[in-house]
Amino acid sequence: MALVKKMLHLYLRRLSEKAENRRSLLRAAAFHKHSAGQPPPAAEENALPENRVPSAAATGRDTPAKTLNEMPGPNTISNIIEFFYRDGFSRIHEIQQQHSKKYGRIFKSRFGPQLVVSIADRDMVAEVLRAEGVAPQRANMESWKEYRDMRGRSTGLISAEGEDWMKMRSVLRQLIMRPRDVAVFSDDINAVVADLVTRVCQLRRKQPDGLTVLNVNDLFFKYAMEGVSVIMYEQRLGCLEERIPQQSLEYIAALHLMFSSFKTSMYAGAIPVWLRPFIPKPWREFCHSWDGLFKFSQIHVDRKLSEIRARLAAGEEVKGGMLTYLLVTKEMTVEEIYANMTEMLLAGVDTTSFTLSWSIYLLALHPQVQQRIYEEVERTLRPGQVPVSEDIPRMPLIRGLVKETLRLFPVLPGNGRITQKDLVVGGYLIPAGTQLALCHYSTSLDEENFPGATEFQPERWVRKDATDRVDNFGSIPFGYGIRSCIGRRIAELEMHLALTQLIQNFRIQVSPLTQVVRPKTHGLLTPGAPINVQFVDRL
Amino acid sequence: MKPARPGSRAHNSLTPYVTGHRDAACIRSRQFSCYTRTLRSEDKVTIHFINRDGLKMTVKATPGDSLLDVVIDQNLDLDGFGACEGTLACSTCHLIFEEEVFKTLGPITDEEMDMLDLSYKPTDTSRLGCQICVHKSQEGMTVHVPESVADLRQPDVGTTSSSS
Ligand code: HEM
Repeated sequence: MALVKKMLHLYLRRLSEKAENRRSLLRAAAFHKHSAGQPPPAAEENALPENRVPSAAATGRDTPAKTLNEMPGPNTISNIIEFFYRDGFSRIHEIQQQHSKKYGRIFKSRFGPQLVVSIADRDMVAEVLRAEGVAPQRANMESWKEYRDMRGRSTGLISAEGEDWMKMRSVLRQLIMRPRDVAVFSDDINAVVADLVTRVCQLRRKQPDGLTVLNVNDLFFKYAMEGVSVIMYEQRLGCLEERIPQQSLEYIAALHLMFSSFKTSMYAGAIPVWLRPFIPKPWREFCHSWDGLFKFSQIHVDRKLSEIRARLAAGEEVKGGMLTYLLVTKEMTVEEIYANMTEMLLAGVDTTSFTLSWSIYLLALHPQVQQRIYEEVERTLRPGQVPVSEDIPRMPLIRGLVKETLRLFPVLPGNGRITQKDLVVGGYLIPAGTQLALCHYSTSLDEENFPGATEFQPERWVRKDATDRVDNFGSIPFGYGIRSCIGRRIAELEMHLALTQLIQNFRIQVSPLTQVVRPKTHGLLTPGAPINVQFVDRL
Repeated sequence: MKPARPGSRAHNSLTPYVTGHRDAACIRSRQFSCYTRTLRSEDKVTIHFINRDGLKMTVKATPGDSLLDVVIDQNLDLDGFGACEGTLACSTCHLIFEEEVFKTLGPITDEEMDMLDLSYKPTDTSRLGCQICVHKSQEGMTVHVPESVADLRQPDVGTTSSSS
């Protein structure tokens, strides 16, 4: 025990030394502005950039870490009222901000038996993610696992843990995580973008003004679905056609059910098994939507498998993309492939489509910003030239647009981690096994991290040169590290290529039909109302 | 477009072509080049790594390998280094170069810059080891492995509960 205390002590020393260093750096920076040799006046020192003290400094040099009991936070009753009675679930992102203002950048809440430690500080989030082990855990996935056990299914990347997760992750990341491996999909994605542009023209013709596309998210949902499946299933689904094939329609229905039953399915996991006979609906819906999702991926995986077998039987060469590779190399079992296809499709559609919808909304609201981006695109590409992945680095505002959209509307307003070791964060000893909530929405909109935080400024992400650093742990919309989003590069490719072409072809304007659209949490941060925009031809 | 991973458990009669998978960089192709490598050891490049405790480790590296490969191949003991296996999802292979060498390193991509932003205390001569390939001109260079991870982890001392 004494040893533990000693080590803890040493450890805290190191952290607070770091804080001290940082402060002296700040001082040095301020010092720089004054004539050499003259110490800055005392008043000036207090006016330093808020003396932004990193987490550990709160502990002071020799203070031992505080326990969770000492951590502030809302009490259980007010939490229950907030979430269940006042439907806090749809305002989780706002509550996150309110609570961090009220209780500080680290606070605890209780949801029944579940204790959650929320962290709304950029540096503390960085500390936690940098300290991760080899198989980080996001949250308790019992209900997902239970469904899979019941149906004899495998877990996929989202639901798997430990060894299982490591094994699948190391196969999949070698296929779809390296930017240059994903860049080769440009042409496939561009075929989908072409259909998207055509679809915009078809849809706006149906409106009296000939310009408006109603509820753009509906369109982007189909685009994202088509985009993910052209890469993952190596097949088009026909979602952007006037008449969508029955199978794809069924899948869309299952996805919508999964999404709309999000709240109930959250309860589904929370309701104890013995209570299920009395409250059967949530669990039933949860299973029903998973059935639909698995069925869809199974159809597509099986189709590919029989195609491969047929080719082999005919002595032909087998060529293909990601799915072919997985099926041929057998680095994962077919059940694991079904599960991963299912979970990746689930993770890859709404996320991408909401982000595209917000981007378009922001462009419509800010015509001047839009114009600057348009000019950059025009400068970079020849008239009518279809951009590919290699063109994106020459259009930093396109990347800035996506980053800024995800900063203002982080699709995952918060993320989870279960600590695997004891950690000291913000001066508190957090025991292994604690559920953390990393409050990305709060840090993204924190004035200290991003001056002018509520303003839409894609330029803030543009670097002057390669050594120009943007300290951006405040906005990590895809997470960070080995458990971060595996579809990140696919999503970026889809968004960069679609946005560039939309900006190239259309001037995007707010429709008189659209009021102010606010975000709402529904598992993900979604537009709280339909976004209707006008697409005016540029040419 | 290259055939899929050579060393994997692929079905013999198949010649899978994987459009999305441009053979995973240096790690895979090394399996082919072992032969020539052992023959011509004089072509190797001497690199000094200074680890987080200031200790110097000197290795002979093969041109074309990434610095991440070198660390893995030579079993350099650097806790947590290269966690995402060179897929640009983390910055645990952060390295600091000498200014002269830094200028000669190839161009940096946006994705690498983004990841460097998230590294612990990046400097003006920082790069990610997974993105740097060994080159003859680097003979004798020294790279620093900066402090990065593992500062928050409690020392492993058995009891990990909050009892205090
Ligand atoms: C704008 C689009 C997207 C955003 C903002 C996003 C965001 C995220 C975030 C924040 C995580 C959690 C990371 C963590 O815990 O550290 C995640 C995980 C994940 N995402 Fe995405 N995502 C997007 C698109 C996609 C796409 C297109 C796919 C599929 C191709 C995908 C597949 C996944 C999977 C499978 C995981 C779980 C990874 C694991 O646990 O190993 N995502 N995503």
